[in-house]
Amino acid sequence: MKFPCKYIIAAALFGAASQSGQAEGVFESLDFTGTFENRTAVAFSGNLQKSEFVFLPEVSIDLSAKSRVTIIGRLRGDVKDRLEPGPPADCSRSGFSGRLTLGSGIDTEIREAYLDTEIAGAYVRLGKQQIVWGQADGLKVLDVLNPQSFREFILDDFEDSRIPLWSLNAEIPISDYTLQLIWIPDTTYNDTPDRGAEYAFTSPLIVPTTTVDVPISFVALDKPSRGIEDSDIGVKLSAFLGGWDLSLNYAYHYQDNPVTRRNLSIAGVLIVQSYERSHLAGGTFSNVFGDFTLRGELGYSTNKYFQSKDVEFNGVVHSDEFSYVLGVDYAGFSDWFLSAQIFQSILTNGPEKLVRSATESNFTLLVQRDFMNEALKAEALLIQSLTAGDGVLQLSLIYEWRSDIRLKAGADIFYGKKAGLFGQYHDNDRMTFGIEVSF
Amino acid sequence: MSGQKTRAETFFRKVTDWPKLAMLFSVLTIVAFGSFVPTIHKDTSSDAFIASDDPVLVYREYVRDTFGLEDPIIVAVINSGDTGVFNPETLAVVDALTEGVSSLSNIDPDRVTSLATESNIVGTEEGMEVTDFYDPTPTTQTDANSIRAAIADFPLYQGTLVARDNSATLIVAELIDQETAEQTYQEILSVVAEQNLPDGVEVHVAGEGAVAGYLATYIDNDAKTLNPMAGVVITIVLFVAFRTLAGTILPNIIVMGTVAASLGAMAAFGVSFYVITNGLPTILIGIAVADSIHILSQFYEEQVRDPAGDRQTIAVRAMVKMWKPVTLTTITTVAGFVGLWLGAEMPPMSYFGLFAAVGVAAAWFYSILFLPAALAYFNIKPSKLFKAANQNDRYGAFLKSIGAAALKAPKATLVAGVVIAAVGVVGTNKVIVQEAQIENFQTDEPLYIADKEINRRMDGTYFLDVAIEATDAEAFYEPEMLKKIEQMQQAFEAHPAVKGSTSVVDYIKQMHKAVNENREEFYTIPNDPDLIAQLFLLYSASGDPTDFEEEVDYDYRQANVRFNLPVADYQLLTKIVPEFQEYVDTKFNTDTVKANLSGRVSVNHKWLKTIQDNHVQSLGLSLLFVFIAAVLVFRSVVAGLMSLVPVVMALLLVYAVMGFSGIWLGVGTSMFAAIAIGLGIDFAIHTIDRMKELLENRTGSYDERMADLFPSTGRALFFNFAALGLGFMVLTTSEVPPLERFGLLVVVAVTAAFIAGVTILPVMGKLFKPAFLFKNAKQNDAGNDKSKPTAIAAALVLSVLGAGAFVSGGGLEAADSFDELSADEIVANINARAEGEWVSRNLRMELVDKRGKTRNRDTTGYRRYFGSEKRTVIFYNAPRSVKGTGFLTYDYPEADRDDDQWLYLPALRKIRRISASDRGDYFLGTDFSYEDIKKESKIAAEDYTFKRLGHEEVGAHQTILLEATPRTDDIAKELGYSRVLLRVDPEIWMSRKSEMWDTSGNALKTLVSLDIREVGGIWTTHVLEATNHKTGHFSRFTFSDVNYADEVQPDMFEQRILRRGH
Repeated sequence: MKFPCKYIIAAALFGAASQSGQAEGVFESLDFTGTFENRTAVAFSGNLQKSEFVFLPEVSIDLSAKSRVTIIGRLRGDVKDRLEPGPPADCSRSGFSGRLTLGSGIDTEIREAYLDTEIAGAYVRLGKQQIVWGQADGLKVLDVLNPQSFREFILDDFEDSRIPLWSLNAEIPISDYTLQLIWIPDTTYNDTPDRGAEYAFTSPLIVPTTTVDVPISFVALDKPSRGIEDSDIGVKLSAFLGGWDLSLNYAYHYQDNPVTRRNLSIAGVLIVQSYERSHLAGGTFSNVFGDFTLRGELGYSTNKYFQSKDVEFNGVVHSDEFSYVLGVDYAGFSDWFLSAQIFQSILTNGPEKLVRSATESNFTLLVQRDFMNEALKAEALLIQSLTAGDGVLQLSLIYEWRSDIRLKAGADIFYGKKAGLFGQYHDNDRMTFGIEVSF
Repeated sequence: MSGQKTRAETFFRKVTDWPKLAMLFSVLTIVAFGSFVPTIHKDTSSDAFIASDDPVLVYREYVRDTFGLEDPIIVAVINSGDTGVFNPETLAVVDALTEGVSSLSNIDPDRVTSLATESNIVGTEEGMEVTDFYDPTPTTQTDANSIRAAIADFPLYQGTLVARDNSATLIVAELIDQETAEQTYQEILSVVAEQNLPDGVEVHVAGEGAVAGYLATYIDNDAKTLNPMAGVVITIVLFVAFRTLAGTILPNIIVMGTVAASLGAMAAFGVSFYVITNGLPTILIGIAVADSIHILSQFYEEQVRDPAGDRQTIAVRAMVKMWKPVTLTTITTVAGFVGLWLGAEMPPMSYFGLFAAVGVAAAWFYSILFLPAALAYFNIKPSKLFKAANQNDRYGAFLKSIGAAALKAPKATLVAGVVIAAVGVVGTNKVIVQEAQIENFQTDEPLYIADKEINRRMDGTYFLDVAIEATDAEAFYEPEMLKKIEQMQQAFEAHPAVKGSTSVVDYIKQMHKAVNENREEFYTIPNDPDLIAQLFLLYSASGDPTDFEEEVDYDYRQANVRFNLPVADYQLLTKIVPEFQEYVDTKFNTDTVKANLSGRVSVNHKWLKTIQDNHVQSLGLSLLFVFIAAVLVFRSVVAGLMSLVPVVMALLLVYAVMGFSGIWLGVGTSMFAAIAIGLGIDFAIHTIDRMKELLENRTGSYDERMADLFPSTGRALFFNFAALGLGFMVLTTSEVPPLERFGLLVVVAVTAAFIAGVTILPVMGKLFKPAFLFKNAKQNDAGNDKSKPTAIAAALVLSVLGAGAFVSGGGLEAADSFDELSADEIVANINARAEGEWVSRNLRMELVDKRGKTRNRDTTGYRRYFGSEKRTVIFYNAPRSVKGTGFLTYDYPEADRDDDQWLYLPALRKIRRISASDRGDYFLGTDFSYEDIKKESKIAAEDYTFKRLGHEEVGAHQTILLEATPRTDDIAKELGYSRVLLRVDPEIWMSRKSEMWDTSGNALKTLVSLDIREVGGIWTTHVLEATNHKTGHFSRFTFSDVNYADEVQPDMFEQRILRRGH
């Protein structure tokens, strides 16, 4: 039996975690921290959606004054196993970024493992990591470099749902500018839940439908797998000029969601999925005006495919997409933080055939309030689709009971039509509870 | 004068035109204030008497944290039989009690010490062995004998764990939470009660933990029942005075309003209810009732004068006559309490002054608003006691006869007064400052008996700790160091007050003996540090190494020596504490080692010393304020001095009673002076005001004009006196000695003030004819003698000046050379203080909520100047939930340019641009504002105007008191401060303590800089504490590894560094 080296690293990591007491003294600069967390979600219907235990160890070692290695692992077990029932296929992941399944509902993986160093004045981070672009919260225009797991749709924190990739990330200061060069040879894409999972997609916006009563069969998933040829690249130039934080971004990358094509044949509808490459160009800006922070990002993406109403042209519409987010934060009241964003996606082609609207608009409103010297944080986040009228309201309370223990409670409430992106989870409304113990 | 009257009349007309509105408003405000009262926080600990930043308290906390030393509760098992406690039955009781006590929730089972838990160190062939005394649990007399032999061979435990005559042994249990000590004491009593004690065995429960915890509750519980009882008695007096329902109920409503306002304000501002606050409601009842009695008396008199008059007219007439004296007494009483507030150093006393002043003002408010409205609105029947005009009831007649007698023999009266005052002065000299908490209990209280019994048999249950701190680890392996400790133990034990001591040296000697076949000559400190280290190692091989944690810390760098004292009263402590301190200072404080006194005994000494040092000062300030207020209200210095006469008489008599009856001036009793002033001044003001009025409006000789003083004002004053006197007399029935004394002394104070008020003051008017009294007097035979103001004024001024000189005697001497500097120059000096071009440092933030729950944040920060632009970055290292958070600020020199700030949140993996917070906003959940943090102990000169207010001592440092007031309302709003009081140490140009008031003028925060020392030639605060008085939240910043020397690279302040961490 062949064990891929990533499993060995995972095993070594947890081994190191269990022996941390002895590790002190061996590496003076070794820093070992971590969290144990229980997260439980109960649907309003009374069903237990999940009760998972997550252990997140983090080890960092300073190799020199300018070099540091950081490894973050994750061991996760879910009592219910409803989010990804059965062992995950991980077919959207590359061979380097898979998870090690330890029985039903338990998986472990190296979340991040990277070396930070400085070469000729440039900062280099090499290894498995998260690279985040953009200024928007919860909505993505430029944040396309790392794929995401949708096992809990978008309810999970980005920190947990974002899938780190093996990448090279260099930041090179050039006078007042910073040039960021990114190379991602890791061909891992979004994890989407399979049918039968708690948060499986059912909305026609994503899942292709057919009006003809014919058998549907899944034929193939064409996933890029050549490390060099299929790698993504990104370039960002950023600066702080006249009070403005500005950036220009460009990426040549595979879109993280596969294009689903429907081929009508004698055997019925054949489904073929493939990943498509796209050029993305855009930029971000932000500045502060008194108590207000204005921030925004915009991007133009080529070569995108969207579901069409019929199976003509394989059931997809080919179009470019222009999208932007404009946000305003207000911090004028003590302990309060208010933030509103407007997001629009505009397609350049085929409005009459699209399942979605040619122009889609979303609005978000975030209200945060701190209590008791920030020991208690209450938050309400509303994401409202202005196009389909559906949305989701996320409420959360985080109480720092002690420095190392945080208690969490929350609720996620979906509303709108079943066909909508949010409305499809109409029956998934839930309350969440959690406790996080860190060391 | 007439203009004023008209204005007063118009005002009371208006109030009585809208009686329902005025009453509704009053009731609503009473309810509003009252609704806060249940939220008041009780703090009955004695530590509350010292400012929480006092070095003594801070140091004790440190010793507590390092060695885990808490005030214990002590259970003594006593058997006076032949074998003492060394027989199987008694030892079984010890075992059972140890187990029972250990199982209590507030007891740390690891910190219960008794024969059943302790280990014996014995020599063996291999070296030494550590075994439990109770191994095995003794069942036979032989077992018991061998334990006795083991103890006899172990000097450390003699006198501390087992009585030297074997008649007693202790179970020492340390509390986890001192606040619930009383409850734990009760639980331990029930554990004891559950035991079937063999014949001859007695069990006692005592200890400092029990005494301190129980005392507060003991006083508090009794006060809770007696205070309301005093209220009932006062109500009865009211009924006797007026025999009407209105006369009984209305004053009680004023009382409610007064108490609600005072305690409600305390609760609203988060000020705790301390043990001495129990005196506050009583004094407020007295004052509120006094106002009402005077107004009601006038009202009933007016009713008699004009039986046909309508209610409103009569109410207005009564108010027009009485508003002035009531207002005057309010002003003077408030002044007295404000003096106490400003003068007292102990927070509970200072707050007592402040909130008594609030209550007195509230009493005035309701007397002026609610009372006339109620008198006009309700159909109040005339009081039968006020018959016809100028016809006196028996009380009036009685007063009149006293007054007439005094005026008939004015010189004799005055001489009698002077003689009584002289007796008072003699008595005052006999007052001793003394406090011993145990003496506050009845002598038949089990706790009292237990304390005396245990301390008679053992070395003592009062602890004085000496904490010794060396710079190097393993310093306590050094024989030299250990010998120094041994010498100190011997030196202190030579003092008769010290009966025994415990230190790591005792263990070493015992171990040394054990490894040398238990030979007595080896009960010494070995000369070889390696051997000492080996002894510890040997011990840990068979014993529990935490056995020493009360004596020495884990790396042998800090040690604690604990001395046992059987008594710990203040007089004793004033002798030994400075002596021991000097020993420690001369023998221990060197470059490599430091020692400090600590422990409960040392803390007690400190706060009692504060009482002694501060008593005269706060009293003097209080008197001075009352004097100034009286001068202002009567527009006459002589009037001010005369007003002080009854007050001074009351004070002198209180001290005389204390001096002659041996009542100590202690914590509780130090309040009487303030109360005597607060209550006494009323009698003076009412009398003088009425005397003035009578001289102005009546005709005839002085005596004839004064005739009406006694039956009207005198009668009202009499009932005022009776209500207070009888009310407080209830307290003398208390079983709790402090309350008993409280009642007695207040009765003495009001009696003296009343008698002096109605006799000596009219007599002084007659003899000295002060100008202020006769200024508007009708020109006829009353003023035929020329007034002799100069003589009396000169005499009184001299005496007051003398007192003033005495009060300020202990004042400031240092900082003279800085007295030339203006406030702005001082600020310029502060801002010119060097802070280095760059700095790196670690910062631990401790956030403590009002229940004591602590959260920590460990951060690393860097700062560097880029020209005059300052850039700062902070990285969070722990706890994990915030680890990786980074906060970057560019602070520009231009005043009108906002800072630029970025926050990196690891959970989002994004750098967020954030708006430069309002300067007054709290910095990341701490009690410091962004401005506090940014200025780094400097101050924005452009925001404030500054004023020098004198000097103040902070810790042992003379500081310049500097008041900063924001230049505009907008700046005040932005900063959140309406006033800042800085205490600037001119030696280092840094404020050691600052206080801030919010924009409504309420106390907001106190910032204290501690552990200020030079790092690379730059004065640096290493501990910064902020207490938010509104929320009770507290933040402590502890800086370490402060480094101004190594350059912080400019790229440390780039955004991208936030993502990567430092």
